[in-house]
Amino acid sequence: MKKTFALILALVMVFSLALTGCSQKGTKDDTATTGTTADKGGSYFGASDDEIVTRPAITDKVAESMTICVGPYPDTIDPALNSAVDGATYVIHAFSGLVGYEETVNGALKLVPDCAKELPTVEAREDGMYQYTFELKDDLKWSDGSDLTAADFVWSWNRAVAPETAADYGYMFDVIDGYEAASAGEGQLNVTASEDGKSITIVLKNDVPYFFELLAFPTYMPVKKDVVEGNDAWAISADTYIGNGPYKVTEFTQGQMVMEKNEYYHNADAVATKKIVWPFNEDDNSLYANYKNGAYLFIDSVPNDQIDTIKAEYPTEYKVTGQLGTYYVSFNVNDPAFDGFTEVEKVSLRKALGLLLERNYICEEIGKADQKPANTFVPMGLSDADGVTEFMATANGGAGYFSVNEDDYAANCDEAIALLKDVAESSGKFTVADDGTVTGFPTMKYITNEGTGHEQLATYMQGVYASWGIDMKIEVQEWGTFLDTRKAGDYSFARNGWLSDYNDPISFLDMWITESGNNDCQFGKDAHATYAGYSYDGKDNLTWAESYDKIIAQVKASKDPAERFALMHQAEDILMSTGAICPIYYYTDQFMCDESIEGSFVSPLGYKYFMYAYIAE
Amino acid sequence: MDKKFLYYLIKRVLLAIVTIFLVVTITFFIMNFIPGGPFQSEKSVKPETLAALNAKFGLDKPLGEQYVNYLKGAATFDFGPSMKLDGRQVTDVILEGFAVSAKTGLIAAACALVLGMVFGSLAAVYHNKIIDRIIMVVSTAFVAMPSFIVATLLLWLFCIQTNVFPPNGQEPGGLVLPIISLMLYPMAYVIRLTRSSMLDVLGQDYIRTAKAKGVSGTKVLFKHALRNAVTPVITYAGPMIAFIITGSLVVEKIFVVPGLGKYFVSSITNRDYSMVMGTTIFLAVIVVIMMLLSDILYKIFDPRVDLS
Repeated sequence: MKKTFALILALVMVFSLALTGCSQKGTKDDTATTGTTADKGGSYFGASDDEIVTRPAITDKVAESMTICVGPYPDTIDPALNSAVDGATYVIHAFSGLVGYEETVNGALKLVPDCAKELPTVEAREDGMYQYTFELKDDLKWSDGSDLTAADFVWSWNRAVAPETAADYGYMFDVIDGYEAASAGEGQLNVTASEDGKSITIVLKNDVPYFFELLAFPTYMPVKKDVVEGNDAWAISADTYIGNGPYKVTEFTQGQMVMEKNEYYHNADAVATKKIVWPFNEDDNSLYANYKNGAYLFIDSVPNDQIDTIKAEYPTEYKVTGQLGTYYVSFNVNDPAFDGFTEVEKVSLRKALGLLLERNYICEEIGKADQKPANTFVPMGLSDADGVTEFMATANGGAGYFSVNEDDYAANCDEAIALLKDVAESSGKFTVADDGTVTGFPTMKYITNEGTGHEQLATYMQGVYASWGIDMKIEVQEWGTFLDTRKAGDYSFARNGWLSDYNDPISFLDMWITESGNNDCQFGKDAHATYAGYSYDGKDNLTWAESYDKIIAQVKASKDPAERFALMHQAEDILMSTGAICPIYYYTDQFMCDESIEGSFVSPLGYKYFMYAYIAE
Repeated sequence: MDKKFLYYLIKRVLLAIVTIFLVVTITFFIMNFIPGGPFQSEKSVKPETLAALNAKFGLDKPLGEQYVNYLKGAATFDFGPSMKLDGRQVTDVILEGFAVSAKTGLIAAACALVLGMVFGSLAAVYHNKIIDRIIMVVSTAFVAMPSFIVATLLLWLFCIQTNVFPPNGQEPGGLVLPIISLMLYPMAYVIRLTRSSMLDVLGQDYIRTAKAKGVSGTKVLFKHALRNAVTPVITYAGPMIAFIITGSLVVEKIFVVPGLGKYFVSSITNRDYSMVMGTTIFLAVIVVIMMLLSDILYKIFDPRVDLS
């Protein structure tokens, strides 16, 4: 029963991120500046049977071309190697995977078959694994007119995980059987093409609820073996950049990319605009100037210092949508500044420091992009076991891990001071006066990379802590140095952020296992390795490796969605109990889109979909 | 060409090669000692992927071996593939960007030199008069304003407020503003150099003699005075042209000019080692060539200069 339930969920999994499309006009209070469903407490991914939009029949009365700017000259537009949001936007226009996204009549997004005829149902195998068999649409072609078969998918996926490809996102295939061997260069993914090349069978270790989403992800898009094999430079020249998507690249220089409609695309009839010009630009002021004078019809970032003017001047064209990400401060659990305190005292100190920050103020005065104050690590927008409610709505029993209500800030401060008083008494290392003034608190080192917002936040924190008598040193580091320092744990606390690539909390949780490359908090390392203060599976007094690492392993092995999500909630509870993760806000995506553009949409991953967009004339 | 001059040239070229070799060596080792590496990101890549990437770009070899390999490549101007821009050869990226930056830069440099010398001479001739005062105030302002202020100001004035020029270097007329942004500082600097050396020259005996002999004012100014007053400008012009034709990060970014400028900075931020080396060597070569040219020009303008 549960299996069928999961299956139905997977089938109807849709984004219900409301009103992100440019075509939504005249719904000012919903679109501009505050416009995600998350404001109203919903998930970005709601189960929905919504019909997809029916677009007007394509006539000649649409503009020939659109100029859309989503970023600077991209590092790569090779679907396997790309890990950037702007790169992904180019890839989804030039390629199409087995599954894609469409907009629904309610302005939500829905997973639909793309190269596949339909979304198949899962089959349980005798060996305990699961498999999907996709039938491909008839007469699929590459943009050069040659045939595309199921074998092309198989080859492309194996290429993406092969060690010599060295793709950052190779791990996106880790749900498929055979991944470990394939990524070590010792085997192939358990994916087979039928003899006639019309169907493809994929064997999964586990039927994860987000598998169709993965299939719509750029890393899963097919590339043409003839042009790719043995040619490292295939993706930098329009001649060899052969795709199978709605558009094909006809010009690719340092200045811009030009895409023209791909007549061989299986759904070419739905593609109205003949040409999309993608200029490369990364200067916010220049982007805005180009938007203002009409040269660009879409820009993906705006000058933050002019945000108030922009909101006033373009109430319907300036948009903010939710993203699957959290901006947070990570504490180093082995920080030598806190040597001499017990682990329990350290937790109280970290929690107190977190509670003293006023997140509403940070969002309004520093973030300025309609971010939402965060009180969980797994952000808004990700769904829970039922696929409808948000994961964060049931985090810590539904209350979040502390209150971010504007009126509760004073209470948070009181709680923080109470915590500090307790530690002051038990440790005797510093004192807290009756009015809350702290003396003798160890000096902490906060590290952040360069960036106006990051540095402003650091200064704000410094001011807040100073007002209570706590000293904090700020170290602003250049990006490469910062990443190194943070990873090595050479700090007290640090700016941090995480964006997910699919709708599942695991991508926020498995990064904290001891051996993870993103374990910036240093959980389970050095001194923290021997601290046995965590619980799991009815047992107490376990170390990080015995508790957290085990839970994550169990989540990954679990075949029962309800159990899986319960375990993920447990994992987040343990994570937040350390006080070492101090969520600040949930990320948002800002952009400006001209009102003349209809039929475009945005995903919570930040990808922009213009393949069905047009400008009526 | 006399023998002495030839010796001089050979000596200078050999010295230039030594200079560039030193630049390569120092950059290579400093670059490897700063923290970070080319394959980092907010989401750290898996250790296996990192190992594969290091192997792909030869970063798994000992530093000494990497250095020797690098020198071999650099000697033939093959800087290898970029570690960040997938599939791009560093040499191609540099030449492509340089073609754009050099065009903009040369026009800007030429305008800066010509206008700078004209205004500088004017200021000297009308010393302490109203023209001199105006020129000096304006040129002080331009010297004092950093290029990002000038560029942003021009963008705001001519693109956002009045829409006279496109805010985009790739459209027709789009290079006007980047050229102006690039030339204002060197122009102002040349004005000041010309003015002061011109004042110095105009006070000298031979000018007075020429005037007394009845040579016309313009001829005195341009034939006798300017020729001698130009030496400091030549000293300045060499490196100035080298830097201006290799592109400016700020100006190119603000006016969307797909030039070379951004790679000088982004390559370091990205720890794109091959690109760091490529851009550094390229700049070093250009600077050395321009300095050599300006030394030769000295000799032509002022035969008294002893090159040995």
